[in-house]
Amino acid sequence: MKGLELIKKAMRLEDVERIPWVPFVGAHAGAMIGMTATEFLKSSDNLVKGVNKAIELYNPDGIPVAFDLQIEAEALGCKLGWADDNPPAVISHPLKEGKTIQDLKVPCACAGRISMVMDATRKLREQHPDLALYGLITGPFTLALHLLGTDIFMNMMMDPDETHKLMRFCTDVAKMMAGNYIESGADVVALVDPMTSQIDPGSFEMFVTPYVTEINDFIREAGALSSFFVCGNAKQNIEVMCKTKPDNISIDENIPLDFVRDIALANNVSFGGNMQLTVVLLMGDEEAARRDALTCMDIGGKRGFILAPGCDLAMATPVKNLVAVAELVHDEILQGELRASEATAMNIELLDLNNHWDKTKVVIDIITLDSSSCAPCQYMVDAVSRAVESFGDKVVYKEHRIKEMHGVQMMATLGVKNIPTIVMDGSIEFISQIPPINDIKAKITEHLAKK
Amino acid sequence: MEELYKKLSDCIEFGKINKVSPYPPQMKDQDGADEITKQLLDGGASADDVLQKGLIIGMEKVGIKFRENQVFVPQVLMSAKAMDAAMKYLKPLFAASATARKGIFIIGTVEGDLHDIGKNLVAMMVEGNGYEVIDLGTDVKAEKFIEAADQNPGAVLGLSALLTTTMGNMEQITKAIKAHNANIKVCIGGAPVNEEFCVKIGADKYNPDPQGVVEFLNAMSA
Repeated sequence: MKGLELIKKAMRLEDVERIPWVPFVGAHAGAMIGMTATEFLKSSDNLVKGVNKAIELYNPDGIPVAFDLQIEAEALGCKLGWADDNPPAVISHPLKEGKTIQDLKVPCACAGRISMVMDATRKLREQHPDLALYGLITGPFTLALHLLGTDIFMNMMMDPDETHKLMRFCTDVAKMMAGNYIESGADVVALVDPMTSQIDPGSFEMFVTPYVTEINDFIREAGALSSFFVCGNAKQNIEVMCKTKPDNISIDENIPLDFVRDIALANNVSFGGNMQLTVVLLMGDEEAARRDALTCMDIGGKRGFILAPGCDLAMATPVKNLVAVAELVHDEILQGELRASEATAMNIELLDLNNHWDKTKVVIDIITLDSSSCAPCQYMVDAVSRAVESFGDKVVYKEHRIKEMHGVQMMATLGVKNIPTIVMDGSIEFISQIPPINDIKAKITEHLAKK
Repeated sequence: MEELYKKLSDCIEFGKINKVSPYPPQMKDQDGADEITKQLLDGGASADDVLQKGLIIGMEKVGIKFRENQVFVPQVLMSAKAMDAAMKYLKPLFAASATARKGIFIIGTVEGDLHDIGKNLVAMMVEGNGYEVIDLGTDVKAEKFIEAADQNPGAVLGLSALLTTTMGNMEQITKAIKAHNANIKVCIGGAPVNEEFCVKIGADKYNPDPQGVVEFLNAMSA
């Protein structure tokens, strides 16, 4: 199924045949084409080139056009500090430097780098009609912090009216951005509001809920999907985030995924996350990346879950780690093998097979993911069933599905590492490849001769 | 008198700065930390008693509530501001003794990193807990940290980083500080940093939140 359809299904909370995956490539896509963050984030052509490289190597179902939470702030007069190896940082807060809210105007879509990201969105839309394109906008609370600095925390308490005015303004900016992204072809508008992780649910309901709900309604009415991203430990706010009626929420590794899953699904909101950005994806190896992805996928499940890194990928994240995740996402057999090997590592209880063997018969065990859903498994089971026909009751065979705990225990007890595998009288004979019927027959004959 | 101490600790706990402050709504039109501190001192209370029996008790309660996720940054900042309002009366009285401040905390975002929000939050909360804070700003080199530490013997250093790419600088700076004087205590924090990294670079403490820094400083000065 095409990525866009898969993402839509996940966001509609329908069961999916494969968990969709959205790598949050920001400046990392620039690194993939040998550019600095500054070169990458200042040119529409480079954005398109970098995102295309990420699409080519990471085989995603959806992808952000630009992960840069400074675009709106820049257009509103915040000074940016640019760097080679990171997205820019906001280094001035206009409302602390003499400007008032009345001085601020919702920027034209031509201001700063806004038209550049919209141009990149249009080009990517044209080139990838079947991929979910994410347009990222700065959430109103984070934008308010860019404009006012940390004074906003005090203002919330001391001057609620003024804080509401600022949130009103930031909401108008967010709607302008969302509208432009949707018009340029984005399927999903991701409202990224990491600073809300710092406030309590009561303050969230007072100063964030009405505004984010309005933005989510706006996105829905425009026919697009909304996703609410919060990086940081926002555990206390997951419930109130869901109540703003986004189609999806996305969180990072600070919050346990099962906790988020249970709250999101209870609120009929899909959810995404939360592969570990630094310890695993940036500093770990392919094996660690695969295992982390699998853990997320097993917790997330096939209803309403989108696999993604916790937040914007670090620029220097090794490409091979993300390629490993992409391979795993698209390969159910690999997932099964990894799951079984983890079970082995967990010291699962091995089976006592003394009564499993037979003095007169050859016992064949076929370890599969599940022959009804995994094609190679099905062919291998078919091949064995045909090969044993001519041996009558001299041979017995059984399929062990590692989707079940017993299958995992059998796999570990027999020392099997790959799926599917044929084992005869406890000895591993055929791995992964479906053998010709005659080869299976020959092996059975060998084992019979030992009886 | 006892009742006033209790009121003062409530003002700190709930972030009531002064009578005109609209926050918290349930204490509207009541005296705040400002007025009550003055009343206590006018009534003959010692500055040390005001600190120990009122302010510190309130701040400790806030600390526990923050740790237990009952209150968050905005509420703790209000408590810190209420503490400030009281301290403005106490500071002159403490001028000659060391009780006025519990210690000195020097904070900065490491070289190459321009992000100031996390650092500012930590600075505000530490200050609100009765420490003197020297804020070196953002993009701070090792030499600047060392110079400030030398000028303030016994001060604890706090290094902040938001970016994965500046974690390397955090490591270099920590090592430079420790090479200069292994006795200087260094604590670190920021989105990409964790306990494992703290151990790896030889820093003394990783704190996931501002309250952790306060507790570390309290433990150091105890």
